[in-house]
Amino acid sequence: MAQEKQTKDNRPENPIRKHETNLPILSCDGQGLKRLLAAGLAWLERHSEAINALNVFPVPDGDTGTNMLLTLQSAYAEIADSPQDAVGEIAQAASYGALMGARGNSGVILSQILRGFARSLEKKQTFNASELAAALTEASATAYKGVIKPVEGTILTVIREVADAAVSAAGDSDDLRYVLEIVTHRAREAVAHTPALLPVLREAGVVDAGGQGLFIILEGMNRYIQGESIAEAAALTQAVDLRLAAPEEGYGYDVQFIVTGQNLDVDEIRANIARMGESTLVVGDANTVKVHVHTPEPGDPLNYGAKLGSLSRVIVENLQEQYRDFILGRVQPAVPEKPCPIAIVAVASGAGLMRVMESLGACAVVPGGQSMNPSTEELLNAIENTGAEEVILLPNNSNVILAAQQAQVLSKKKVKVVPTKTIPQGISALLAFNYQADLETNAKGMERAAGEIQTGEITIASRDVQINGLDIKEGQIIGLVNGELITSAQTIEEATRQVLQQMHAEDGEILTIYYGESVTAEEAEALAEMIGDLYPDLEVEIVNGGQPHYPYILSIE
Amino acid sequence: MSEKTRLGKIEIAPTAIASLASQAVLKSYGVVGMTARGLAQVLRRDAHRGVEVRLEGDEIIIDLYVVLEYGTRISTVAQNIMSNVKFSVEKALGVPVSQVNVHVQALRVSSHE
Repeated sequence: MAQEKQTKDNRPENPIRKHETNLPILSCDGQGLKRLLAAGLAWLERHSEAINALNVFPVPDGDTGTNMLLTLQSAYAEIADSPQDAVGEIAQAASYGALMGARGNSGVILSQILRGFARSLEKKQTFNASELAAALTEASATAYKGVIKPVEGTILTVIREVADAAVSAAGDSDDLRYVLEIVTHRAREAVAHTPALLPVLREAGVVDAGGQGLFIILEGMNRYIQGESIAEAAALTQAVDLRLAAPEEGYGYDVQFIVTGQNLDVDEIRANIARMGESTLVVGDANTVKVHVHTPEPGDPLNYGAKLGSLSRVIVENLQEQYRDFILGRVQPAVPEKPCPIAIVAVASGAGLMRVMESLGACAVVPGGQSMNPSTEELLNAIENTGAEEVILLPNNSNVILAAQQAQVLSKKKVKVVPTKTIPQGISALLAFNYQADLETNAKGMERAAGEIQTGEITIASRDVQINGLDIKEGQIIGLVNGELITSAQTIEEATRQVLQQMHAEDGEILTIYYGESVTAEEAEALAEMIGDLYPDLEVEIVNGGQPHYPYILSIE
Repeated sequence: MSEKTRLGKIEIAPTAIASLASQAVLKSYGVVGMTARGLAQVLRRDAHRGVEVRLEGDEIIIDLYVVLEYGTRISTVAQNIMSNVKFSVEKALGVPVSQVNVHVQALRVSSHE
């Protein structure tokens, strides 16, 4: 009887009433799982540094994000080229990869999670919502088996909550999108709750790093399945065709909000929102509905939502921008593989130079340089925050050397200051670092290497001054060689010529141009061309240093 | 191990250090048990089965005899144990631990594999 009544109701009889892109996803095969893992991996890559910063348990060595990333990369490497359709085979291969590449505590736990997950999917071609829930439950059980005294408030808590959420969500819906959305939500909540369970986190004022890592992986998968960030997954597999993966034009904004009201009709809202754009996701109940859509007109869904009830957690993001940030983010250097026994702390200003320092192995880069010298305390903090007991400090500016030497005295660690006066000297010193040598040997070797490099700097006089027999007016272009003022000129080109002459550029082999924030790439290229004409034997490299105050820093080796 | 202060001296017995180490091991991921090394240790009444602490001069040397979960990466788990134990003992005592040796005595197969 009840059934009859329902069909007579004004509900449409055709169950497919949603926007096409919002069809429920009922099952996932091996290739689907592969893409999900790729998305989780891409998202983790983007966040691993932030996760490192959270790491205080069990050993505060700041490598949880890196360890999880390396573990998941190893898992993905096993399946990246696999044409397998059977989900059980893909899961098994990923699990094997994670096992072989497991790094650190969180990496081992992640490998156990994947192992349980794979065991549950053994011999399966695909998984549906309830099979996914079962696999996550097995993943959780397997993870817990690996330890005698499970510590709550860690990744273990998060996987357990995730499994519970998956089971209850799979009871409500067959749609994998729905299940993953719920699971991701619960993971986020579980992570947020970790400080309440684990005192060491509460004291440090952070959430658990491993738990956060797991949440990030799930969030990446969820974003992918909701159609939010195909760019990530595509970028991973076809790095060459990055541009093709850009979000389609016409769906320029990612709009998310929550509507709170009464008697909300989720299906009706979903149908209406779906007409406004793509990648629609509408979930909730009669009182609270979460809306997500990609649309060229962000105002439409917001106006519509505001009519239904009150809006909260409104997010409007430009998809093109997100995509661009993502691409830029991917260009960032890989994190060093291991926390080295000797840490290097370097001072630099400008995003490009800081990145160069990091990619060459500096464990920490303290922002600072000309006219913004870092304090002794900032240097000291950076030294104390490295995981290593022995630290080499590169001031990279003659005005910072003193603060660096003070930090050396104040630190409880064994610190050596290599008195680099310029950025190129610092870079040269970094390149000379030898992982196998001890602190003394390294400090000596790095100082020697720093001395072998010639540095030229082009900047603008900040005041009138008479120095080295030169009469300089404020605003004039000036050139320095190895920190010594040698010339003033009307144009940057002229100053550069003088500086290069003084540096004996004709004897050098490689000239590197670090161009500053005030200079465009085109201008830097034009300068490089001019230098190339003057010194045809020099190999000229251009690096976007992004440093303030100095339009150009030049180094010759 | 002892330390002199103006008021007197502080002495820390190896068994106390063993307790610290043992707690850290039991919380280490991948460890599912600890075993005594050989019959001799079983016969000795020892609250810290599977942990041996030796003091050689100023050096603290800890030997751990563990059972690990089958299917984990043994070398990584062992390294994790070393760093967990070193960290928590050093944090509690404030003195460096010079060696942590992990002896994997057995693996436990916990499921149908």
